[in-house]
Amino acid sequence: MSARLSIVVPLYNEEESVERLVAEVLRVAQSFPFEYELILVDDGSTDGTWEIIERLKESTPPLRAVRLRRNYGQTSAMVAGFEQARGEIIVTMDGDLQNDPADIPMLLEKIEEGFDIVSGWRRERKDPFSRVLPSRIANALISLTTGVRLHDYGCSLKAYRAECVRNLRAYGEMHRFFPALASMTGARITEIPVRHHPRRFGVSKYGFDRILKVFSDIFAMNLIIRFSSVPLKGFALCALPFVGLTLFFAILSILALVYDWTAGKALFFFIATALSAMAAVHLVLLGIIGELVVATSDLSHTRLPELTRRKIDIGNPPCAS
Amino acid sequence: MISGTHPVRAEGSIRYSVLLLLEEETEGFAEFVRSLHGIFLERGQPFEILVVASGTEWFARKELESLENTRASTRILVMPRGTTQAISLKAALEETSGEILFVCGSYPQITSQSFAKLLDALDSDTDIVTPWRRHRVDPWISRVQSRLYNRLVGLLTGTKLRDLSCTVKVFRRQVLEETDLYGNLYRFLPIVAARKGFRTKEIPCDHLQERGRSGWYGFTEYFNRFLDILTVYFNTRFTRKPLRFFSMFGSGFLVVAAVITAYVFFQRVFLGRPIGGRSVLLLALLFAVLGVQTAGFGLLGEIIAFTHGRQKREYTIEKTI
Repeated sequence: MSARLSIVVPLYNEEESVERLVAEVLRVAQSFPFEYELILVDDGSTDGTWEIIERLKESTPPLRAVRLRRNYGQTSAMVAGFEQARGEIIVTMDGDLQNDPADIPMLLEKIEEGFDIVSGWRRERKDPFSRVLPSRIANALISLTTGVRLHDYGCSLKAYRAECVRNLRAYGEMHRFFPALASMTGARITEIPVRHHPRRFGVSKYGFDRILKVFSDIFAMNLIIRFSSVPLKGFALCALPFVGLTLFFAILSILALVYDWTAGKALFFFIATALSAMAAVHLVLLGIIGELVVATSDLSHTRLPELTRRKIDIGNPPCAS
Repeated sequence: MISGTHPVRAEGSIRYSVLLLLEEETEGFAEFVRSLHGIFLERGQPFEILVVASGTEWFARKELESLENTRASTRILVMPRGTTQAISLKAALEETSGEILFVCGSYPQITSQSFAKLLDALDSDTDIVTPWRRHRVDPWISRVQSRLYNRLVGLLTGTKLRDLSCTVKVFRRQVLEETDLYGNLYRFLPIVAARKGFRTKEIPCDHLQERGRSGWYGFTEYFNRFLDILTVYFNTRFTRKPLRFFSMFGSGFLVVAAVITAYVFFQRVFLGRPIGGRSVLLLALLFAVLGVQTAGFGLLGEIIAFTHGRQKREYTIEKTI
């Protein structure tokens, strides 16, 4: 079976929702004029989720499922789903019924329009404020720094042209960065508002410590997106402020010598000059090691833009047949 | 028989492969092999014994030649002196075909009844069985140290075990095939394997004897253990997101720098104490440099993780339907 659309849903201890989820997806999918598949990824659930999936599989031909050996987190589960997916278009969504499968046709329309990635935007989020606020801040930061302008990176409901994500293998807990990461392939990205339902079953699986990690990840993401092909440049930019400091303290040192300031002050400026220079030099050296790392890699990440290339023949317009 | 001339055995015909790690000439080795041979004969399932002799080839030959009835099932794999246990086992994996691997040192650390108990404990829900030595025979100071050690490792890696340091382990062949072991990581096999979703069970066993040093260990031992803990902590949590590890420390340094600077400026503004020549500012600068450098190493780590680790699967699939 070659499916046109693969719907990937990661599940972790969702025994109350899974049946309903499958039913809702099937209802929406009835109207699809093309073949599709629903891929459930059981992320090492410890409740009855997998048994229910196995039972549903009997009566639902488009259903496929993967069970991971332990709980790896939503990102890994999604990536596992991507790897199984055979469709040209991949749609991801949450397993907890907070996303509405009825929005899928809307996402597909945007893909038809020529976008490579369509991200859902939960304009009216039905979550407690304590969860919405850190997410807002993270979104603003990602949008500002990565140059991929979206309102809501954390929304799981997204549609991708398969080639943009299949080779990407996002790493770490980075599913919110899929669009930003995918921008390395030159993908055209847009967003549309989607419905969002409050949680009906179970508990939300996010902890507070995640929020702190996100900031570290945003920093890392930027480095990867902008500088993974030119690491020296990234590190040199970090070194610039220290070059400035070095110059500043060096000038003060000279002034101290010329105008014969107290020995204590002069010594202070000498040491400060040396410290700043050390930081600048070390950062540049790290950048050079970075170049070594990139040069010894298989360079596959530098060829990501080839994934979205297309050829236009101006001279030979396609013949009407 | 020396391995290397040994023909590949039919897969699945052997149930147990007993791997003895012989790292130094140990008194009573032949006796130990004989008793193990007896234990496995009693179980009535096909087994093989492989002595991995790292630099102890002649000793192993001499000892094993003295045994008459174990010859048919016993072989020696010769490795260079100083080969780490991880590498010895990986090599042994290629030379054996048992479904279940039984690894032990060159003398019995636990009683023979305990060996049988370990083998029995490997059921369908378990992939690794390790002994938890009760009634320890070594001095109390060793016990206290080992307890602290196990606690600390459990805290850092999230895999809580009560006895990590016993060489004896029973596990499925798949465990060793699928985990990336190197260096000193064999002692952390349950932890490294837990990342791949393998489950470990600890079985209380009777401690028989402990050779080598006990009580207060030498400096080298503590130094090595400390490095091991650092390695396994980083390897289990941060290989995908190295910046998170480095930013833990880096942000700490930056906070110290910021606090000192704020303190000096507070004194300047409100108490009128001049800034010029305040040597504590040098400390602030030093911490700032340290913080930035630490973060720089983390960024380099990210580039390595992205360029070299992106294609490595993070998850393991148990089943697909």
